Amino acid sequence: MSGLMQSLRALARLKPAQKLTRDYLVSLLTAVLLALAVGAGIMLVCGHNPIEGYGALIEGALGKPRAIGNTLAKTVTLCLTGLAMSLAAKAGVFNVGGEGQLYLGAMAAAVVGAQVDAPAWLVTLLALLAAMAAGGLYALLPGALKVKWKVDEVITTIMLNSVAIYFCSYLANGPLKTAERGIATGTDSIMAEAAFTPLIKLSNLTTGVFYAAAVALIVWYVMSRSSVGFEMKLTGENDRFARYGGIRTGSLMLWAMVFSGAICGLVGMLEVFGLHKRFLTTVSNEFYFDGMLVAMIMRYSPFGVIVMSFFFAVLSIGSKSMELSAGVSSELILIVQSIIIFFMAAEGGIRKALGERAALRRARAAAGERGRG
Amino acid sequence: MNDAATGAEIVRFSHVSKQYPGTLANDDVSLSIRRGEVFALVGENGAGKSTLMNLLYGLQAPTLGDIYIKGEKTGPQHGPESAMRMGVSMVHQHFKLVPSFTVAQNVMLGHEPRRGLFYDGREAEETVRRLSAEYGLKVEPGDVVRDLSVGIQQRVEILKALRTGADVLILDEPTAVLTPQEAEELFEVIRRVVQEKNMTVILITHRLPEVMRVSDRVGVMRRGRLEKVMETRETSEREIASLMVGRDVLFSDLPGGQAAGEERLVIRGLCALSDRGLPALRGMDLTVHAGEVVGVCGVEGNGQTELAECVAGMRPVTGGSVVLCGRDVTGQAPGRIREAGLSYIPEDRISTGVDVKASVAENLIVGKQRTPAFSRLGVHLRRGQVKKYAQELSQAFDIRTSGVDEPAGSLSGGNMQKVVLAREFSFGSPALLVCQPTRGVDIGATEFIHERIVEKRDQGCAVLLISADLDELMRLSDRLVTVFEGRVTGRFRTAEVTREEIGYYMTGGHQDTKEAEAQ
Repeated sequence: MSGLMQSLRALARLKPAQKLTRDYLVSLLTAVLLALAVGAGIMLVCGHNPIEGYGALIEGALGKPRAIGNTLAKTVTLCLTGLAMSLAAKAGVFNVGGEGQLYLGAMAAAVVGAQVDAPAWLVTLLALLAAMAAGGLYALLPGALKVKWKVDEVITTIMLNSVAIYFCSYLANGPLKTAERGIATGTDSIMAEAAFTPLIKLSNLTTGVFYAAAVALIVWYVMSRSSVGFEMKLTGENDRFARYGGIRTGSLMLWAMVFSGAICGLVGMLEVFGLHKRFLTTVSNEFYFDGMLVAMIMRYSPFGVIVMSFFFAVLSIGSKSMELSAGVSSELILIVQSIIIFFMAAEGGIRKALGERAALRRARAAAGERGRG
Repeated sequence: MNDAATGAEIVRFSHVSKQYPGTLANDDVSLSIRRGEVFALVGENGAGKSTLMNLLYGLQAPTLGDIYIKGEKTGPQHGPESAMRMGVSMVHQHFKLVPSFTVAQNVMLGHEPRRGLFYDGREAEETVRRLSAEYGLKVEPGDVVRDLSVGIQQRVEILKALRTGADVLILDEPTAVLTPQEAEELFEVIRRVVQEKNMTVILITHRLPEVMRVSDRVGVMRRGRLEKVMETRETSEREIASLMVGRDVLFSDLPGGQAAGEERLVIRGLCALSDRGLPALRGMDLTVHAGEVVGVCGVEGNGQTELAECVAGMRPVTGGSVVLCGRDVTGQAPGRIREAGLSYIPEDRISTGVDVKASVAENLIVGKQRTPAFSRLGVHLRRGQVKKYAQELSQAFDIRTSGVDEPAGSLSGGNMQKVVLAREFSFGSPALLVCQPTRGVDIGATEFIHERIVEKRDQGCAVLLISADLDELMRLSDRLVTVFEGRVTGRFRTAEVTREEIGYYMTGGHQDTKEAEAQ
């Protein structure tokens, strides 16, 4: 999904911080419909029936219990990474390093899961804590650099992604490489009883979803209902004002970054304990960047992120079966997603231009009235 | 000075309107300005006076209506260049000079004299010297602009505007950054160019005393409309003020303070750097007692901003001390200083005083978000309480908003300032630091804000007032200190000092400064 990476860079430059207004949601809905229409157009040009195509997409994402399970599992990943992004961004720090934090979390969880000899529930808990600690501490570094010396966190977190990913890859290929046959690059498998159990047969949806839901709920509460969330919001919107108001903006930013990293670590742990049962170098496929995208499109509104995650999960899961059953290439969905991002990035400008034109019309009309009157 | 030859019309606005998204900045303005007059355009901030002049100068195009310069209609392609060609020049509030260039280089910018391929520095300086003598604007062509005082920089700007042989000179709030003496000199220049060169000067301002002093006619704008055009000698400050506000304004005398109480804010030898890393405070000493207002006056950029920020904890202190209510708070975080008993109204509302994206209610409770009144156990924000409190407070402070959930950025300058005031006064702090409380605030709100500050003083609060508005300082302060280049140059009881004296100390209080300028 490196095409998305490109659009992400474009969006990151905007650092949107406005509220999720009704106007914005209307624009978003329009953008989504337009993007789907363009997708339909492309299908037509390529000789497919768009109704069939989109039908296959929805069927593939929601048609069978197994499909629903996979879609929900994807929603969880998008949602947690999106919330991690939102949490930091709300406080004015831009955590682009979630991918690396996710890898380290996954690695920490895999190591605990494979090496610790304890009751299964304890192993799960320890792995959870280890993953969150790994992700959180890894986010502490760019956070501290930002707060102490004003080092741009966008640059440092992007760079630290590669460091973490290659470090984990080294571990999985070297010191921690499993002796099992048939596993190219991965660690030893975790204690089987400690892993999450599937909720729907043959799907990726496991009991891990409850942890995810709890975390999502906490993040939502902190961001939109708590005193500290209020302080974070002020810090993100205007840190000078927040400081003047007596808020300790530095430590607030740092904590936001740490928790953002911890959530990413948790996502890694969920992947390991839910799906792969060990650390694999393919544990994430730029999951964090997809989550970032959702967060930015929804302007860091926690509730919005949850809803949008589901929509993107449907697109993502459905696109594969659309390819299989309707023969429409799954890349089409990337086009649709990119068009949504394109419209949302241009949203401010388009809205302004339309507003100016409307104002001009009103002025002319008013002048006309006066002329007659 | 309105003899037959000079009374002719030079600029005419015919039913001009300018629509910005959301606001009608100019609403059907028709106005005729004559050759050889000083025309003052007055109005509160946002009344549309600068917009109107920007239309004339071609910085923006009118939405509707026509503008004529010397009888010639300006076209759709009208811009500063064609304005200048037609004889209209403008000096903006914020100077557009190249700091590292000399006076001559700045004045001749874009029209440099050449000798062959090369810039002819001597010719440029000669031209500037000639212009300088012609208009009575004393400048030294070889001086580098960044070394000059604001008053002189303004002269350079005016020379630049006059170089092209303008007939109409627009001055946008020219005295905002000047000392009384510098303003006086500017007025002389204005009179001279009008009388000797038969030029027209359009003066945008909201300072009524200078309107009365220097203008021939005055046009009052309010909410985009031109309310009335009057002969200055047939009107009064009070009448103009009423027209500006749309109702009668009575600037009643405020009661003076009682004898001052104990020391509340003691500043000793305070040193700090400016944003550019240069010394801005060089050992400032100041004491404010309970129950008094101490006014700090000085030309902008002499350390006032840094003084306020150091006291409030927003800027690192490099030397000296700040003692608040007996506690040494030097270099502490703003939150600590607030707890120690300081409320602070910063000079820059938009970037410091409020969060324009947050709602009015949120802005009003900042600093209290963890107190039991608004937070259960310091964790759960009681949003119902926040809203209720905000509604009460906006009523008490007459904050005009369509609802406390509106973003603070949607408020007018005056109402935004009331939000800051309401919040800061609600802490009941024993000391108050007030910076530029009425900058960009309309007259009605100014009255209100002044009364509140005096009320606070009468309750025994120690008030340190920093303002660029001498009238405001004279009106509110019990004592005044003048500052120049980061030091206190004079201390006075307000009742015992004249504006001229203050102006003298604001410029450094040294005789040789004046002589240097005169050369």
